[in-house]
Amino acid sequence: MSLLAPSYLRDILKRCSSSETLRSNKQLFHSIEADLITLLLLLSVRLCASPPGKPVLIGCRSPEKETFTCWWEPGFNGGLPTRHRLFYEKEGSEEVHECPDYWSAGKNSCFFGKEQTSIWVEYSLTVVAFNALGNTSSDLFKIDDVMKIVKPYTPENVTVLVNDTANTPYLCVSWNHPPKVDTKSGWTTIKYELRVQKEDNKPEIFHPNKKNSFKVYNVDPGATYTVDMRCQLDQSSWSEWSTASVVKIPNYFQNEKPFWILVSIFSVIPLLATICIVVLKRKFVKQWLLPPVPGPKIRGVDVQLLKSGRAEDVINALIGNQNFPPAAAWMDQTEEYLLVSDSNDWLLTDPYISQKKKSLVIPAGVQLEIQCRTSAPAQSDCENAEVGKDGKVEPDHLAQTKESVLNVAAPSVSSGSKEAASGNAAGPTGYVDIQQHKGTQGAGPNAAQWDYSWVKEVNGETIFILKNEDAAAGLDVPGWEENTAADYSRVKEVNGDDVVLLQKHDSADSSCKKKEDRSAEWTNQKAKSRHGSDCGKGACLQIAGNGYVDSVPRFYVE
Amino acid sequence: MQQNIYCSCSRCPFGALVCAVWVGMVCLVFCSRLSGMKAASICGNAQAECHFLSLANLFDRVIQHSARMHGISNDLHSEFELYFLPSKNQVSRVGRNCHTSNILTPNGKENRFPVTDPELTEVIMKLLAAWRDPLWHFHQSVARNHRFNGYGSNKSLEMSDMAHELRKGVQKVVEKMQTLGVISNSVGGLASPEALLAADGSGWRFMKDSDLLYCFRRDSNKIQNYLKILKCRIVPEHGC
Repeated sequence: MSLLAPSYLRDILKRCSSSETLRSNKQLFHSIEADLITLLLLLSVRLCASPPGKPVLIGCRSPEKETFTCWWEPGFNGGLPTRHRLFYEKEGSEEVHECPDYWSAGKNSCFFGKEQTSIWVEYSLTVVAFNALGNTSSDLFKIDDVMKIVKPYTPENVTVLVNDTANTPYLCVSWNHPPKVDTKSGWTTIKYELRVQKEDNKPEIFHPNKKNSFKVYNVDPGATYTVDMRCQLDQSSWSEWSTASVVKIPNYFQNEKPFWILVSIFSVIPLLATICIVVLKRKFVKQWLLPPVPGPKIRGVDVQLLKSGRAEDVINALIGNQNFPPAAAWMDQTEEYLLVSDSNDWLLTDPYISQKKKSLVIPAGVQLEIQCRTSAPAQSDCENAEVGKDGKVEPDHLAQTKESVLNVAAPSVSSGSKEAASGNAAGPTGYVDIQQHKGTQGAGPNAAQWDYSWVKEVNGETIFILKNEDAAAGLDVPGWEENTAADYSRVKEVNGDDVVLLQKHDSADSSCKKKEDRSAEWTNQKAKSRHGSDCGKGACLQIAGNGYVDSVPRFYVE
Repeated sequence: MQQNIYCSCSRCPFGALVCAVWVGMVCLVFCSRLSGMKAASICGNAQAECHFLSLANLFDRVIQHSARMHGISNDLHSEFELYFLPSKNQVSRVGRNCHTSNILTPNGKENRFPVTDPELTEVIMKLLAAWRDPLWHFHQSVARNHRFNGYGSNKSLEMSDMAHELRKGVQKVVEKMQTLGVISNSVGGLASPEALLAADGSGWRFMKDSDLLYCFRRDSNKIQNYLKILKCRIVPEHGC
């Protein structure tokens, strides 16, 4: 130690301070420094040799949920060769085990094989560093559950291919599962994540469902894409990203440029041609597109006259040229005439023939014409009624005060002709208005008094009209006396299909001599007459025995 | 009248042909409907293919259910640790002991794991049975003591219900497997494993809430994993 004392060194330097020996002394000094340092080191080692520093467990990882590895960081070794040993305890057991494999996973690591790995079991780990002077233990490192330290390796063989069939390019990514991972037995469920980044944009994340392949469709031609993948086991931590694959998609539009140039050229030519035509023939085009609107023109009117604005001229111009047709006299179309006449008497010329004709449009559509003739006052009561096609009614009496209506049914419509002889069908649904002079013979032939008379009897083609005024009194049908304007003839008897015998009142049977079997052309009634007895009140269009021939619903059956 | 009928069938062959065609079409329609219905029905008859398909379906549902249950238990446990055990007190964990520790469960892929299907099924059933009461009481205590916020209380109830539902689902799967002859009927004999746990049945009452959540999270993970293994053993062709 006295050799190394600073005073000794100073003495040496003093002695050798002469310039001649300075250089050689410096060299000597350097060599002495080196020696000193070496000595110091050696001594310090001898003095500071200590037990090893405390190692630190960095972490553990299980790549496939079947084995796991733990790493530690050794502390200062204390200048002596140190050795590290790992001890662990499993949950539920006091037994201490030592790491089975220190080398498989590299330096400062411990690899737990399948036999030593237990999932869902808590591990307590300790690393102890040993050297000649002692040992140091690390802090206790606990693994709650091996599931928590699972982190798989990256997927293998990630390849990206550009598939450009059918003009829609897409990326086809394929991969394999990480090594040593068992996915077939159901022990682990592996999930993948794919990342696609276009040039410098934000990356897109996909989660493929398939095990080995995936297609990425939304790719742009001409762009560069970076693709990488990672995976996960049973909700564990994600693995690292695999090595990225870079692909460039060929640009299709470059190939199609000349095509589009041609298309544009060929579309420009007709366009130019159209423009030229339009410009050169603009007047024609204008006329075709926007034809001029013709001015107003009224026939017979001078436009200049209208323009002058004088009121009289305008009115004359507008209205004066019109030729209005004469207004036709309005004819009473409803009045047509029912001609009922006796064929024999038809030929008589009576000075007092009144040719009042009146007809009614009967509900069944028949139109009968009644021509009432009045001869001598004494015979004024006689009327003739002609009914039916071939039927001729020959009434020989006229009721003076009473009105009677002969119901005539005529289903076949005949036009309202005034000749009753032709085609007037008679049926029991109509009225026969027989004009009657009520004792006002002096009223003249034109006195129009509508009156009704009782039909006494219809024989064949002859209708016998009651003359006696008591005739109506004999009828004891209720309600009839009230309505004297609508009296009905009473049917006495129906014989067969086409014979209706109207009742002849005894009191009135005085002057009527003629009786003929009348076959009324009740053409409508042939079928119905059988059911005459079924008729009740209400609408009934049938002739009933001892009933009334009527078409009005007020129909009484006796 | 009778003459008309005879006329339509015998005298008019065209009419007979039309009748026959119509009847045939009606039969075709019915038959196709029946067969279509068969294909769409949930295989009530004994058809081998159909049975295995529905078993796989059952397994999928049960596995999904258990995954969901495990997720909820995980959330609850991490929340509990966050709010009630902010400092990771390792000392308190030393004495942790789940009440289901006595159920021997396969803990690794290779060690003690050539476990047969019936054994595995039994283990699953035992685990589910063992957690029925503790989960219910945990929910009651949470609701009573307002230990958690509303979210936590809902989750605890959900967890309890899901465990109950999962147990019923697994029982259905077991019955189906027994019908198909995949496993023997002896498994059903242990339908009431509560009898086995009667001695230890009250052990869970003294567990702390944190320990209970920790243990259940682990056990739910076990159940999920075992179900997956069982499925891939019995119906491997359906997504393994």
